[in-house]
Amino acid sequence: MKRIFLLLALGVGGAALAQVPSALPATATATNLPAAKAKSRAPTEITSEAADFDMNIHQAVYRGHVNVRDPEVNLTCDWMVVDLPEKGSHLNHVLADTNVVVDFRDEKGETYHVTSARAVYDYKIVGVETNETVTFSGSPKVVTSQSTIESEPMIWDRARNRFSFIAPKMKSEAGLGGGGDTNAPMLNFLK
Amino acid sequence: MKINAAKICLAAGATLLLLTEPGGIAQEKLPVGHGHDFTTESYFEPPHDRQIKMRLSGAEVTSLPGSLEDIRQMKLETFGVDGKLTMVVRAPQCTFAPFDGLANSRGHIELQTGDGKFHVEGEGFMWRQNEQFLTISNRVRTVIDMPALKMNAS
Repeated sequence: MKRIFLLLALGVGGAALAQVPSALPATATATNLPAAKAKSRAPTEITSEAADFDMNIHQAVYRGHVNVRDPEVNLTCDWMVVDLPEKGSHLNHVLADTNVVVDFRDEKGETYHVTSARAVYDYKIVGVETNETVTFSGSPKVVTSQSTIESEPMIWDRARNRFSFIAPKMKSEAGLGGGGDTNAPMLNFLK
Repeated sequence: MKINAAKICLAAGATLLLLTEPGGIAQEKLPVGHGHDFTTESYFEPPHDRQIKMRLSGAEVTSLPGSLEDIRQMKLETFGVDGKLTMVVRAPQCTFAPFDGLANSRGHIELQTGDGKFHVEGEGFMWRQNEQFLTISNRVRTVIDMPALKMNAS
């Protein structure tokens, strides 16, 4: 098990590591940070070939070459459903579907390239806690400069900048520890 | 002549309101004519009947065959009962079919919430009043200005 931890830690550029008991459901990995304070930043831009806006249910469906650009993240997919926030509140649910590709860079400069069939973004504040996660499913894979990890599903905890994996298969580009694929219980590693 | 133009504009405005206000019922006979620089407003039901609910304006309106209205430089503003602007929609040109509850254009459309935090634009649109459903056909661009998380907040 220590070897798996080491592989994962080295695979994401010396990231810190934490283990979650495998008995926990995937949703149990959602972040429970204190409710985050808002600050201004560059806006999020969504472009697509076409879109439908249902004013009754406050929902937008973007179709064709969908691209989401954010100060931190770039996402592309074939179509995407966005639950529109009311009165300027935070987006709380987004579904990206088909040929999902997400690229982002952490504060240490490490790049992450995630591919999957589907990604679901959820944002929720419960009491004083903030949960902000992206759940990838459909053969998700994250590629960094040093490793490739596959997991079904794969959860990106944005509030804590942490990935969670279930039975991940990892390949180290650096060939550390033999560099082979591995299976492991559900794991988290910290950035 | 001014009176006629005003009537045409008011009638055109009334037809437009049918497209933007849920449950609207056509009462005005569609005008046959042409008008300039019209503005029409609708109000909330009592007890907020002094508050403007919607203001529709345009630079030019022309009646078309088939009970259609061609509107140029359309601007639609909606307000809350507190008087705050909630949404602005702009289209250089659009065609209204009030009896079908449809509005469409091959041209540009822009929609922005009153607080400016949500902005959508694109080319070519169809608005279905009964379903409250807007389709933008090409080159859709949405800008959402929402607060970011502050990491390590306490």
